[in-house]
Amino acid sequence: MTKTGMIDFRGVNKWFGALNVLRDITLSVEPREVVVVCGPSGSGKSTLIRCINGLETIRDGDLVVDGQRLGDPATNMTRLRTEIGFVFQSFNLYPHKTALENVTLAPIHVRKIPRAEAEQAGRELLAKVGLADKVDAYPAQLSGGQQQRVAIARCLGMRPKIMLFDEPTSALDPEMISEVLDVMVAVAEEGMTMMVVTHEMGFARKVAQRVVFMDAGAIVESGTPDEFFSHPKTDRSRAFLSKILRH
Amino acid sequence: MLENFSFRTIVEYLPLFGQGLVTTVWLSLISFAGALAVGIVLSAMNLQRGWLFRVPAKAYIDAVRATPLLAQLYFLYFGLPRLGFVLPELVVGILALSLNSGAYVAEIIRAGILSIPRGQVEAGVASGMTYVQRMRLVILPQAFKVTIPPLLGQAIVLVKDSALLSLISVAELTRAGQLLASDRFMPAEGFITIAAFYLLLYYCLKGLAALSGRWLGLQPARSST
Amino acid sequence: MIWQQVQSLAGSYPLALRGLGMTVVLSLISLVLGTLLGFGLGILRTGGNRLISAAIGAWVDLIRGTPFLVQIFLIFFILPELGIELDAFTAGIIALTNLAACFICEIVAAGIRSVPTGQVEAALASGLSRSQRMRQVVLPQAMRIVLPPLVGQYVLLIKDSSVVSAIGLTDLTRVGWLVVQRVPNGLLVFFLVGLGYFIVCYPLIMLARRLEQRMGAAHGEVQL
Ligand SMILES: Nc1ncnc2c1ncn2[C@@H]1O[C@H](COP(=O)(O)OP(=O)(O)OP(=O)(O)O)[C@@H](O)[C@H]1O
Ligand SMILES: [Mg+2]
Repeated sequence: MTKTGMIDFRGVNKWFGALNVLRDITLSVEPREVVVVCGPSGSGKSTLIRCINGLETIRDGDLVVDGQRLGDPATNMTRLRTEIGFVFQSFNLYPHKTALENVTLAPIHVRKIPRAEAEQAGRELLAKVGLADKVDAYPAQLSGGQQQRVAIARCLGMRPKIMLFDEPTSALDPEMISEVLDVMVAVAEEGMTMMVVTHEMGFARKVAQRVVFMDAGAIVESGTPDEFFSHPKTDRSRAFLSKILRH
Repeated sequence: MLENFSFRTIVEYLPLFGQGLVTTVWLSLISFAGALAVGIVLSAMNLQRGWLFRVPAKAYIDAVRATPLLAQLYFLYFGLPRLGFVLPELVVGILALSLNSGAYVAEIIRAGILSIPRGQVEAGVASGMTYVQRMRLVILPQAFKVTIPPLLGQAIVLVKDSALLSLISVAELTRAGQLLASDRFMPAEGFITIAAFYLLLYYCLKGLAALSGRWLGLQPARSST
Repeated sequence: MIWQQVQSLAGSYPLALRGLGMTVVLSLISLVLGTLLGFGLGILRTGGNRLISAAIGAWVDLIRGTPFLVQIFLIFFILPELGIELDAFTAGIIALTNLAACFICEIVAAGIRSVPTGQVEAALASGLSRSQRMRQVVLPQAMRIVLPPLVGQYVLLIKDSSVVSAIGLTDLTRVGWLVVQRVPNGLLVFFLVGLGYFIVCYPLIMLARRLEQRMGAAHGEVQL
C-alpha cells in the first residue's frame, strides 16, 4: 500500500460548485506505463488529467506526482510542471511564435538552456515529429495535424518525465489523426510515462498497458486493452463501447 | 448669406491656422504618450489579484468615464491653483487630456489582454512559466497586436477632444478659428477652415488605423524578443 | 472660510438644479431624436442603394472627423448667416441630435451586417416583404449586437452635452463655471459638477457592461 507510482491518486474528490466531477478516484500510474482514459463526454476525463499538473485543484484526497504531494506548501508547482508535458485538444500553440520558437520558448526561459543549444534540440525534435521543413512556419500556416505535432515537440523539448494528452486527435480531420498517433506511439515506445485521454482504440491496443473507463466522475472499470475492449465488465462500458465502435 | 465667403481672409490668417495646427498636433502627441503611460499603469493595477491596487484603478476609470472631459478640464484648471499649482493653461490641458484618455487606454489594454484565449495561459502554465514569464512571453506580445487599432481610434478621439482646450485659451487650432470669427466677424471662414484641418488629421489617423489593421491581419507578428 | 464657501454653494442649489435639468432635457431630447434618426440612417446605409449609402457614409465621416465643439460653432454661428435664425438651445439640440444620429447609424449598420445572410434568405424564401424582413427577422437579431454600444453611446451623448455650455447654454457644466467665479474653490465646485454627471451616467455604464457580458455569454454558448 505504500508503493508509490509516478502518478498516484488516493481518494481524490473534486467539485465544480455542487457538481461532484471527480468521485473518490484512486489510481496509480507506474513509471514508463501508458494509461488510456476513456468515457462519455462530461465524465471528468479532462478534469482528471488537468489535476495532475495543477491546472485544476483538488478538494480532498491525495495526489502525488513524481514523489511530490500536490497542494503541499513544500511542493514547487512551477518546478513540477516542467517535468510534465501537457498536450491540449486545441493545440494552444503560441500564434505569434514560429514552430521552432514554440518549441524553444520554455526551454530557454524556464529551463535556462542556452539559446543555441535549445534551438539545436528544437530542430531535432521537429525533425523527429516529421516537421523538419516547417521550422520557421507560424501556427496559422500549419494544418491541425502539423500543429498538434509541434505541440508534442514543444512538450518533449522540456525533457519531461510524464506526458499528458487530452483528446489530442479529436479536433483533427480523420486523415491527420494517424500522423499524430504515430508520433505518440514513438514517444510511448521510448519509455515515457503517459496518460492519454482518447477514444482511439488502435492506439490503446498498440501501446497502452491499461485502459481506464470513467463515468460520472468515477473510475468504473480498469484493465488491459484486451480485457476492456473484448470483455467489458459493466453495462455502462458495454454501452459506451457499442457507441464508439459504431462510428 | 455665404456669398461673400472670403478666401482672402483665410489665406491672410493661414500662418495663424498653421501655428494652431502644429500646436494641436504636438500637444496631442504629448498627451497621447501621457495617456499610454497612465493607461499602462492603470491596467497593471487593474490586473492585480489583491484589491489594494485594483479598487482604486477601477474607481478612477469609472469616475473618468462617467464625467465629461470639459468638467474634468475645469476641475484641474480652477482646482490646481487651489492646491498651489499655478501651471500654464497648455500644461493643464495636456494633463487633462492624458488623465482622461489614460482611463480609456487602460480599458483598451485590459480588453486586449482578456481577448487572449484561456488556452494560451494554460499552455504557459503547463510548461512551468511563472506569471511574469507568461505575461511577457505569451500574453502581452499577442495583446499588443490586438490593441493597436483601438488605440489609434482613441488617438482620433484625443485629437478631437483637444479642441476643448480652446475654452481655457490654449492657442491651438480651434482657438485660431475663434480668433478669426471674433476679430473679423467671419465665423464661417474660421470654423470651416479648422474643420477642414481636423478632417485632414482624422483621415491621416484613420488611414493609419486601416493600414495597421491590414498589416496585423495579413502578416504574422514577428517575435518581439 | 470653507464653511462660508459651502454655505454659498448651498445657496446656489436652485441654479445647480436648473443646470442639471438643462443637461437632462438636452440629452433626453437629442437622445430620442438621435436614436430615431440613427436607426433610419443605419437601415438606409445597409440598404441596396449605393449612392445613399455612400452619402450617409461621407456625412458620418465628416461628423466623426471633427470636434463636437467645432460642430456646435458651425451650427450656431453659420446657420444664421444662411438665414436660419436659431437660439442656443435649438442649436444645441441640432448639434447633439446630429452627433448621436451619426454614431448610432454606424452602430445599427454594424448590427444589421452581423446578421447572417442565411437569415435574410430564409425570410425571402418565406415571402416576407422588405419591411417585414427588417422588422421581423433582421432588426431583432441585430439588436443583440446593437444594444451594448447603443447604451454606451448615450453616455457619450450626455457627456458631450457639456460642450454646449460653450455657446452659453446654462447646463450643469456652465453652472459650475458660473459658480466658480463667485466661490473660488474649483476642486469642490467641479467635484460636485462631476458628481451630477456621475449619478446620471454611471448606471448607464453599468447597464452597458451588463449587456455586454450577457452578449459575451451568449456568444460562448454558440462557440461551444
Ligand atoms: N470550469 C468548470 N466549471 C464548472 N463545471 C465544469 C468546469 N469544467 C468542467 N466542468 C464540468 O465538469 C464535468 C466534467 O468535465 P470534463 O471536461 O472533465 O469532462 P470530459 O470527460 O473531459 O468531457 P469531454 O469528453 O466532453 O471533454 C462536466 O460536467 C463539465 O460540465
Ligand atoms: Mg475533455
